[in-house]
Amino acid sequence: MNLDIKNLALLVPELMLTGTALVLILAARRIQKSSVVATVTVLAALVAALAAGAMGWLFSGDVQTGFDGMITVDGYSQFFKVLIASALALATLLSVRRTHGVFVPDADSGAPARTTGSATSFISPRLRIDAEHARPAEYHALLLLASTGMMFAVSALDLLTLYLGLELMTLCSYILVGITVDRPTSNEAAIKYFLLGSFASALMLYGISLAYGVTGATGFEAIASAISATGTGTNPILLVAIGLLTAGLAFKIAAFPFHAWAPDAYQGASAPVAAFLATASKATGLAALGRVCLVAFESEAGVLSAVLAVLAGLSIIVGSIIAVSQSDMKRLLAYSSIAHAGYALLGFISGTPAGASATMTYAFLYVFMTMGAFAVVIALGERGEKLDSYQGLAAQRPGTAALMLLFLLSLTGIPPTAGFTAKFVVILSVVRSGHFALAVLAVVCSVVTAFVYLRVVVLMYMKEPQEPAPPRFPVAVYAALAVAALVTMIGGIFPNILAPWAIAPGL
Amino acid sequence: MSEQYIEYIGIAASFLLAGGIAGAMVVLASTLGKKKPSTVKSEPFECGQKPFSVPGGKLAIKFYLTAILFILFDVELVFLYPWAVIYRTLGMEGLVKMGIFLGILMVGYVYAWDNGALKWQ
Repeated sequence: MNLDIKNLALLVPELMLTGTALVLILAARRIQKSSVVATVTVLAALVAALAAGAMGWLFSGDVQTGFDGMITVDGYSQFFKVLIASALALATLLSVRRTHGVFVPDADSGAPARTTGSATSFISPRLRIDAEHARPAEYHALLLLASTGMMFAVSALDLLTLYLGLELMTLCSYILVGITVDRPTSNEAAIKYFLLGSFASALMLYGISLAYGVTGATGFEAIASAISATGTGTNPILLVAIGLLTAGLAFKIAAFPFHAWAPDAYQGASAPVAAFLATASKATGLAALGRVCLVAFESEAGVLSAVLAVLAGLSIIVGSIIAVSQSDMKRLLAYSSIAHAGYALLGFISGTPAGASATMTYAFLYVFMTMGAFAVVIALGERGEKLDSYQGLAAQRPGTAALMLLFLLSLTGIPPTAGFTAKFVVILSVVRSGHFALAVLAVVCSVVTAFVYLRVVVLMYMKEPQEPAPPRFPVAVYAALAVAALVTMIGGIFPNILAPWAIAPGL
Repeated sequence: MSEQYIEYIGIAASFLLAGGIAGAMVVLASTLGKKKPSTVKSEPFECGQKPFSVPGGKLAIKFYLTAILFILFDVELVFLYPWAVIYRTLGMEGLVKMGIFLGILMVGYVYAWDNGALKWQ
């Protein structure tokens, strides 16, 4: 029993989130106020983030493993757990209005609807409570359980634990995408995401079974030692297994050619869910891919770096170019997230710990700047979804427009923002590993994406307003915007601030 | 034939026998049998189903709920049987762990009950 308590102690953040989710499920019918549920969820996420951070700090010297080597607690896992918990907290803050109902602006006069900005006024006469919408407790329980799955996936030290964590994450994501059952686009997005997602999961499972067939193990360390014992690059079945595993994980991060679900899912899902998928889900996929590449298949680094280079290069090209022709803001951000998945993969190509920590830095900063961009979309309500609606926003809401400018500059990668730091570290890592062509491609495509993002800036600052000013948004959205903006600025001004925490996984 | 394949001979033989008997019955029936075709007989046949109908007929959602609830209890039972067999060996630790497992499963059950999934109306 003592051993079990030690094992459970390694899972404090996960247990925190699971426990909260179970309580919310039990009380789902009794809690109707979304502000209560959101507060509970944010608190749970903060406690989980603190616990994960504290454990990462405590165990920074010696790596802890538990449950017979299924789970590990190291700097790498705790870094991503803090990131996931933060993304959960931000997504929860952004959901505050959504789960209450659909915002109905003043239709007759065209004047902005009056809502006061205080924390208790989420329900106003202007908010229609939509009976078809899920109850807030169920929605937040799904968010919490998805985050639990992500946390398991990032600390998994075994292919089956990894698969289990990723499945918990994706099963909750399917429901979250389709949770607005009264919107046909939401249902369509959920079905598309589910069909492609289950196919990708099957591919990954097939890869796991082949890897087990070749090496006789599912644990990362056992796989690594089995491969080094038999010699590398000799077994074609092992290469197929690596290809299938990479494909399954590339689906989770929406890298080309496994990206097709992302634009539809993001567009159909409600914006906070899309934000959560684009950030936390992608960070989890990257974390899992990093551990699989650097620990389990370390000795196949040559093959892996070729596969990852192709995935990264194509994702950057496709994501950047298709984003140019988008007129829907969420689709634009989806293609941008595909390009960013490519950039994030650049770090893993080198196969070195330095490269992995470059990707970790990228993932961390990417989560906050994307969350910020989505926060602005959410804050503007219906208006935020269409690109043309951003015309003249700077004249109507200078603060919101300035924040959007900050996030868009960061997504482009312009110096004083976090995006520059992120792109700098991954491109530096690619150059150090000798892939100069890929580095040039990454920089050239940055220019293409600059056109994409700056187009929004031009609309905001250089056009006349076409629509009435958007209503004020809830305090929770302000809080999320503030946090995202703060991290985006700090990450740009102090580029080395993440370096001590971005510890690559080791054996 | 090498030693390791000998044990598969039985399987191969039963495959051949099964295929042979089934094939022979189909062939014999179609060559030797008398044929008196009628409209009903030449319809594509599936036990009791109408051969042609408009697809996408409505199915009550409560069957779906029943099926989901069945899975909930079925998974529980699948775990409970082997646990009961080695219950004494596992001792107190096994009891606590099973309690946690059932507790989490019961949350789902209580949720379903609470939301009226058990009412058949």
